Amino acid sequence: MMRNATPVVSIRHMKKYFVAERHLFRATDYVRAVDDVSLDLMPGETVGLVGESGCGKSTLARNVIRIYEPDEGEIYFKGVDITHLPNAKLHPYRNKMQMIFQDPYASLNPRYTVGDIIMEPMQIYHMYDAKQRSQKVQELLELVGLKPDHISRYPHEFSGGQRQRIGIARTLALEPEFIICDEPISALDVSIQAQIINLLERIQDEKGITYLFIAHDLTMVRHISHKIGVMYLGRLVEYGDAEEVYNHPLHPYTRALMSAAPVADPVKARATQRIMLEGEVPSPIHVPVGCPFSTRCPECRPECRIAQPVTATQNGHKVACYKYV
Amino acid sequence: MALLEIKDLCVQFQTRNGVVNAVRDVSLQVDQGELLGIVGESGSGKSVCMLALMGLLASNGRITGGQILFDGQDISPLAPACQNSPSLYEKQMKQIRGNRIGMVFQDPMTFLNPVLKVGTQITEGILSHERCSRAEAKNRALQLMRQVGIPGAEERFRQYPFEFSGGMRQRIVIAIALACNPKLIIADEPTTALDVTVQAQIIELLKQIAKESHTAVVMITHDLGVVAKMCDTVNIMYAGKMVEKGTVDEIFYQPRHPYTMGLLRSVGTHGVTGRQALISIPGTPPDLLKLNTGCAFMPRCAQAMKICKDYMPCETLLGSTHSTVCWQDCKNSADEVVAAACRDRGNL
Repeated sequence: MMRNATPVVSIRHMKKYFVAERHLFRATDYVRAVDDVSLDLMPGETVGLVGESGCGKSTLARNVIRIYEPDEGEIYFKGVDITHLPNAKLHPYRNKMQMIFQDPYASLNPRYTVGDIIMEPMQIYHMYDAKQRSQKVQELLELVGLKPDHISRYPHEFSGGQRQRIGIARTLALEPEFIICDEPISALDVSIQAQIINLLERIQDEKGITYLFIAHDLTMVRHISHKIGVMYLGRLVEYGDAEEVYNHPLHPYTRALMSAAPVADPVKARATQRIMLEGEVPSPIHVPVGCPFSTRCPECRPECRIAQPVTATQNGHKVACYKYV
Repeated sequence: MALLEIKDLCVQFQTRNGVVNAVRDVSLQVDQGELLGIVGESGSGKSVCMLALMGLLASNGRITGGQILFDGQDISPLAPACQNSPSLYEKQMKQIRGNRIGMVFQDPMTFLNPVLKVGTQITEGILSHERCSRAEAKNRALQLMRQVGIPGAEERFRQYPFEFSGGMRQRIVIAIALACNPKLIIADEPTTALDVTVQAQIIELLKQIAKESHTAVVMITHDLGVVAKMCDTVNIMYAGKMVEKGTVDEIFYQPRHPYTMGLLRSVGTHGVTGRQALISIPGTPPDLLKLNTGCAFMPRCAQAMKICKDYMPCETLLGSTHSTVCWQDCKNSADEVVAAACRDRGNL
């Protein structure tokens, strides 16, 4: 892996607030989906983002490829600030940043054949001539493990895992450098999940693509990621090398999350001391004052309820908690 | 005597494309206070099996064979008592559902009635199954709500489901399941829709309830992690068949069936760290409309033999609690099994 290279994607202090409710006589309520997140993705690296539903991981990803417009902060793609580029100027960057979606049933057009689906992005970007395109489609089908004669079939004829492969082939058609995988395996059966993970890893090894991998299955994230970020209520509470975060989690939330994750090993499951969290994630409209985790934290101190902790860094392992300030 | 014993259960669905045998000769046993996990992929028949037990199959589905013994009584629609009388069967099941067997489903929001207060929904079961006054039922409901860990039960009693979070709703559903002190709770993917930290709370709650009230729990799930954490015994299903049964330790540390082994390997816990390729099961689950006559796992199995394609292996006991359905373990009885299969087909 290249060190000291420019990051493929760099996110700086990104914020995204959605309007929840407007009031006549008092301030508008906002859902603080992403709150001051900074992240660097190095070439050929996989960054895993974990967190519970509603923690802002998908919103963050959608901000990065400008499906949503971030309210504050900047996004750099290979050093170029793309935060405020108008659509026309964004066009040359969009093909370099692609996305794989969670639900392979919803993300493919049911009226298109597999060939059309994979060819469409190339047509939009005027890549190759017609003959080369269909040849490229064949290559992509082979790459993702589908048969050449699948080209003229429709999405409904495929199983979930195969549909996800079609989605991956379409994503790869534009030869992207950066792919966002938004829960690509959570809709799939257990025996199929491993197939898709292996495929994604193989493609990364061959093409050196950078992944932002979003999931709530911690075992799979650990497996595929080089770096892991843990999000809670719109904030990045911990970030570091995958093994480091797994073996030595620092933030109390990360520890609780790791201990709550079911391990398919009865002896280990019996042995692990479970850190039980009280209650559930608070509403992102009324984020607690101070540390967002303070309401559930087993190690909460008085200062945690007053102001947000700053992020401390130890050997590249970042954590936002008063324990480490 | 076992609390629940299912013997050779078969369930069929009539569909536009033909007959689907969703459950094929499934046998299982649940003892009092036991935590049984049924593991399988989508379409493996694990939910259908339990719906059949409760008499809740969709209108195009029916039980075509087998016995369901609950507390020593055959409660299947094919039992002699109600074989020719669907209304008698329905009456009998009304006595059992929510009373002697409680149920927890995957999505609490579709289970709960959105226009009724949760208190009403908890007391409903108590009032219809037990002779008691409204006040008594309310007291019991409040006690249940406290038992499942809902703070401020008095106030929450008067609220509607939408005012609860996902985890709290699932607690309400568990309270409803517990309302009549059932002997058995069937939990169909109760934590799939929940977040990890909340999932851990609900698993802990179910475990604690089973222990305290000596209730048996059948846990249907596709998550081996949940099983490892919660269950005593595990049954693995594939394409409508039980392929392996055993205690948690036997299934996780001495798996025999190639499918079980594949599942365990593909979740990547067996010594896999970092970015080694996961060992996945090739292929996809079979189409239940186009099954071969032999082992359904054969097309994806690395150890498949010639015999696997045409003949169904028999169940082989590997220990007092551990059994598997695979030709590798019943080679010795191959001749008998093949002869029996030929006889059966001759009879059909």
